[in-house]
Amino acid sequence: MIHNIKNKVFITDTASLSCAGNNCDELFTNVCEGNSGVKNNDQYSYDSCPAIGKIQSKNSFYNNLIIQCQKILDNSTLENFNNTLLIIGSSVGGMSLTEDSYFKNSDYKDIDTTKHNINYISEVIKKEFNFYDDISFSTACTSSANALGYAYEVLQKGIYENALVIGVDSLCKTTVGGFLSLGVLSSNPCKPFDKNRDGMNVSEAIACLLLETKAIKNSVEICGVGYSSDAYHMTQPHSDGSTKAMKNALQCANILSNQIDYINTHGTGTIANDEAEANSICNIFTHKPYVSSTKSITGHTLGAAGAIEAIISCKIIQNQIIPKNSFLDEIDNKELNLTVKTIKKNVNYVLSNSFAFGGNNCSLVFGKVI
Amino acid sequence: MTINLEIIDSSYIYDPIQIEDLKTKELVPKMVTRRRLTRAAKIAIYLASETNFEEGRIVYGNSYAELDSSAKILNSINNKEPISPTIFQNSVNNTAVSYLSMLTKNKHEIMTISSGDNTSLNILKAGAIKALDGDTLLLLVTETLNIEKIEELNNCINFLECGVALKIRVTQENPTMKYKDMKNIENIPLSIIHMLNIAKNVDKKKSNIIEVVL
Repeated sequence: MIHNIKNKVFITDTASLSCAGNNCDELFTNVCEGNSGVKNNDQYSYDSCPAIGKIQSKNSFYNNLIIQCQKILDNSTLENFNNTLLIIGSSVGGMSLTEDSYFKNSDYKDIDTTKHNINYISEVIKKEFNFYDDISFSTACTSSANALGYAYEVLQKGIYENALVIGVDSLCKTTVGGFLSLGVLSSNPCKPFDKNRDGMNVSEAIACLLLETKAIKNSVEICGVGYSSDAYHMTQPHSDGSTKAMKNALQCANILSNQIDYINTHGTGTIANDEAEANSICNIFTHKPYVSSTKSITGHTLGAAGAIEAIISCKIIQNQIIPKNSFLDEIDNKELNLTVKTIKKNVNYVLSNSFAFGGNNCSLVFGKVI
Repeated sequence: MTINLEIIDSSYIYDPIQIEDLKTKELVPKMVTRRRLTRAAKIAIYLASETNFEEGRIVYGNSYAELDSSAKILNSINNKEPISPTIFQNSVNNTAVSYLSMLTKNKHEIMTISSGDNTSLNILKAGAIKALDGDTLLLLVTETLNIEKIEELNNCINFLECGVALKIRVTQENPTMKYKDMKNIENIPLSIIHMLNIAKNVDKKKSNIIEVVL
């Protein structure tokens, strides 16, 4: 049985909080001007001071989560979220709360298991707002890209009226320490695709996108999603997987590779990721679209990365501005058309990549509403 | 809205402490690979094999993720010891199903859902929506809670290791089973209960159809 409904799907509103800005406009300005929110911080490691992206706010992380949801509701035409599917994408959920409890007494007795899980994010939000239903995805660094992909699928198929996608991850000792153990954290804002890149920056963010099947002013269309699995290694990426995800996204969007004007890369700044992703891009996009990574400004927000970069992609289409690769000094792969300056250009289609542990890949295509 | 799913094949397994025979040596002949697998990965590989699922899209889920890896990381941080890179890479929610994809060279879309007590219900919903595309999917859920000092955290779950696999496709036939007729097993993790009840009600001699309410 093949389902025949094919609605168009639009991003009608966004809200975000990250180390790179207290809202989406600040985020995009900082990405375009090269003002990084990534700073050295020793709070999450006992013997190291990596460069990481911490949100600067007087509110608690979870209060900020509610504030961002309220912003979406206030700016939208919705009266409430009663007919909205809440879709969370998160890599660590309430891990920082588990850490706080465990490190007090070195035992599990005070840990609230309901706050440990990924699901805790949606439980916090549902205390303030009523939703039709909710679902949480956790696929490491593709979590919120997959959440967006799912939102696109369910709205396109006419299953739900609208969806609120939230990419969210907070900093914790587990992720900072874990990436330190892999030897991939930089002490400076990362330099994706630079010959002398020396690693990534772990970061935190809250990124919310409202998806509806009717466009309003300044809406951006989600035109397609492409998924794949590397089936290769837990942490070493393989370019076959990223190539397949990008090709699947183009096929889903029913556009040709040469229609993509700009690619927002996963671009973490690690040797392995950037090399595999660059190979995939060169393999598919022979017309050399503009390419950049925005992680030197936002850091790698892990499970929130797909959503925060979807917001940046929306801003690129709305403003017809392509951001530069900040801190890029010496290009490693000269086949890539990496932007060295922020430029005003006609942008119809943007491709955004997200890749994760386990070889989980998701590419999204965004388009200008004509 | 409702979508009817045909259960083409199914398998389930659970144990109060640790499931003994997961056929891991037989299913994962290479020792170097086998040694890296988490308990959830071994269960996932076993269940996929039992349902004869070789390649295609998978919707996987768990509520508590890789608890053993997370506990070891917390312990390392607390003792100011280095974190094992292997344990860190094995700590993400999609660990088990990623190992399964590597083992079977399955390059299709693989999703991981973590929705607390509603995890297996949401796996069914997402699986049903994706199955509208016309293909056969594997729905998979595992929980592995058998970690040192689990008694400090657990006072309600009697089965610390469990998993369910359902091989499904969309059908227009009428449902043959309903959730409301199914009797819950006491003290099994609620995150697997919807899929477990379906698997336990499957009659392999008959057509098995479940209605998924969205």
